[in-house]
Amino acid sequence: MKRYSRELPVAITLSALLVLLAIFAPHFFQPQPLLARLTAQVPVLVLTIGMAVVIISRQIDISVGSQFGVCAVVAGLMSAAGAPLSFALLTATLTGTAMGALNGFLVAWLGLPSIVVSLATMVTWAEVLRLFQQGRFVNLPAGAQWLGLSQLVGQASLLFFALGLLGAMAYFLKNRTGGRHFYAVGSDSEAARLAGINPRGVTMLAFVLMGTLTGLAAFCNMVQSPQVDPKCGVGLEMKAIAAAVVGGVAVTGGRGGLWGAFFGLLLLATINPALTYMHVDAYWEKAIQGLVILLAVIADGLRTKRSAA
Amino acid sequence: MNALPVPTKRHWLRHETLLLIVLFAETTYFFYSARNFGTADNVTNIVRHSSEMGLLALAMMPVILTGGIDLSVGSLMGLCAVIFGVLTHDWHWSTLQAVAATLVAGMLAGGFNAALIAFLRLPPLIVTLGTFSLYRGLAEATTQGTKIYRSFDSDFLNLGDQRFFALPIQAWIFALGALFFWVLVHRTTLGRSFKAIGFSPEGALYAGIPVERRTALPYVLAGLTAAIAALLFTARLHQARADAGTGYELAAITAVVLGGTSIFGGIGSVHGTLIGIAAIAVLNNGIARVPWVLKAGVGGELASMLTGALLLIALAAPILTRFITRRRTT
Repeated sequence: MKRYSRELPVAITLSALLVLLAIFAPHFFQPQPLLARLTAQVPVLVLTIGMAVVIISRQIDISVGSQFGVCAVVAGLMSAAGAPLSFALLTATLTGTAMGALNGFLVAWLGLPSIVVSLATMVTWAEVLRLFQQGRFVNLPAGAQWLGLSQLVGQASLLFFALGLLGAMAYFLKNRTGGRHFYAVGSDSEAARLAGINPRGVTMLAFVLMGTLTGLAAFCNMVQSPQVDPKCGVGLEMKAIAAAVVGGVAVTGGRGGLWGAFFGLLLLATINPALTYMHVDAYWEKAIQGLVILLAVIADGLRTKRSAA
Repeated sequence: MNALPVPTKRHWLRHETLLLIVLFAETTYFFYSARNFGTADNVTNIVRHSSEMGLLALAMMPVILTGGIDLSVGSLMGLCAVIFGVLTHDWHWSTLQAVAATLVAGMLAGGFNAALIAFLRLPPLIVTLGTFSLYRGLAEATTQGTKIYRSFDSDFLNLGDQRFFALPIQAWIFALGALFFWVLVHRTTLGRSFKAIGFSPEGALYAGIPVERRTALPYVLAGLTAAIAALLFTARLHQARADAGTGYELAAITAVVLGGTSIFGGIGSVHGTLIGIAAIAVLNNGIARVPWVLKAGVGGELASMLTGALLLIALAAPILTRFITRRRTT
């Protein structure tokens, strides 16, 4: 039981919320809209995986929303120019990887605080995109949506892909040496260094991975609609951070896991439709997200304070 | 006077002189190539438009000096503007009452940050990231994302439009703020304790400094300053709106870091911050007046982009120079 103490509260809350929905709003569980809602969360899930790794390494990256927008537009322009989808996927991930590497370089090698670095890159990339695209949507060719498959098959394959990625990354983080290095660096980077780990390399890797996953997430987002909105990434960094923190990933690094972050994401994704069923305005979304982050951090702070005392 | 083993005074001098040279070069360039840059009207304009950001930067400086950060000030500006609008329009309070209540609300919101950071010992960046979302969200929820409060008392609007002894009123308020923070940081024991905490919280504790209370104070002041900035913003635009101050936290942090305050805390000066504020204010105004930017109509985007890039350069510069000088000496 103790082993899952970080994931348990969020899993219980999620189940309670689902039970409430099952009683008061059973049409929430109709298969078609449910599948659509789950698929819509795939890009955020992919981002959350990366964000959890970054936070476990005791860093943060608030530039992923802007990076997401850049990757989505790059991929969109590629397919609009007639390139095959695989090529669009490749350019999106490469663009993301490059942007993640820039963050990683500034944080890992120059030793700058990740919050300020990613604050600066967040604004810089968002404005570069605004300058370049001027808010224009990118129209995609007919074959791009749902990877050229039928909607149902497209949705199902995106979902399977994301869950597979989640499972693989969760296994890697928990059970492979490379994965444990993120925890080691996140809990005490000096101790990790003395144990023969290269903290800079690990930090760099976390940011590069975040960038690659951002590109991947942007692609998963692109194939779900007939056009690319250059603003599609706005606020996504908050969603990913909230999911990870609510799911028990400690902002002080070194603790938490991907399954917790996954439950955190599901919980946050369920709160919004639940609010709609309870006739609360959608305008409250941002406030509630902030509140949920604060509550999760406070709960974690109180828990560590008690265990330290 | 400087008892802490901080980098030598000569290093200090270098940073601020360097920044002054950059400011001078920037101003000269815009003076000759930007349209209507050097006119008296435009100088007033720069002061009017940048006093809010400048006040936030002044308040951000002690926060960063203690080794913290406050990402929520821009969002708090939006929330305070909306609170002021609701009080004057929906609750029909008098302007004076509403101003007072808005200032109190700003202090309370800053105090909330302070309580979580100083007393619960939570990391400042994640706390203020949460309130960054919370405060803006509350403002948007109150206005339903669209409502804008217009028509205010003319006495209040004078705050944004009128002059006092030839200078815009904002200039006087900003000067008062600058004086306040300069005295606070450089001439009081409080200011010394901010530096001590930023330098080493544990050392400060053993030196008998009440670390929790002293860490809390800058966040409360930042909240109060955000409320003042929100009122100035409302008076200048004649509108109270939920998106007031969007992105101002970045400009404020950039001004502070550009002004030589270490992002890790413990080192910094208010006069450096003032030069940083001037550099950003001039850049924002000047870039939009350069002919080709004017023609493309991309002044806003370019200014924000350069602010972001400038922050990265300001952050990386001291580390790179240290790296290079170390190479040369050894």
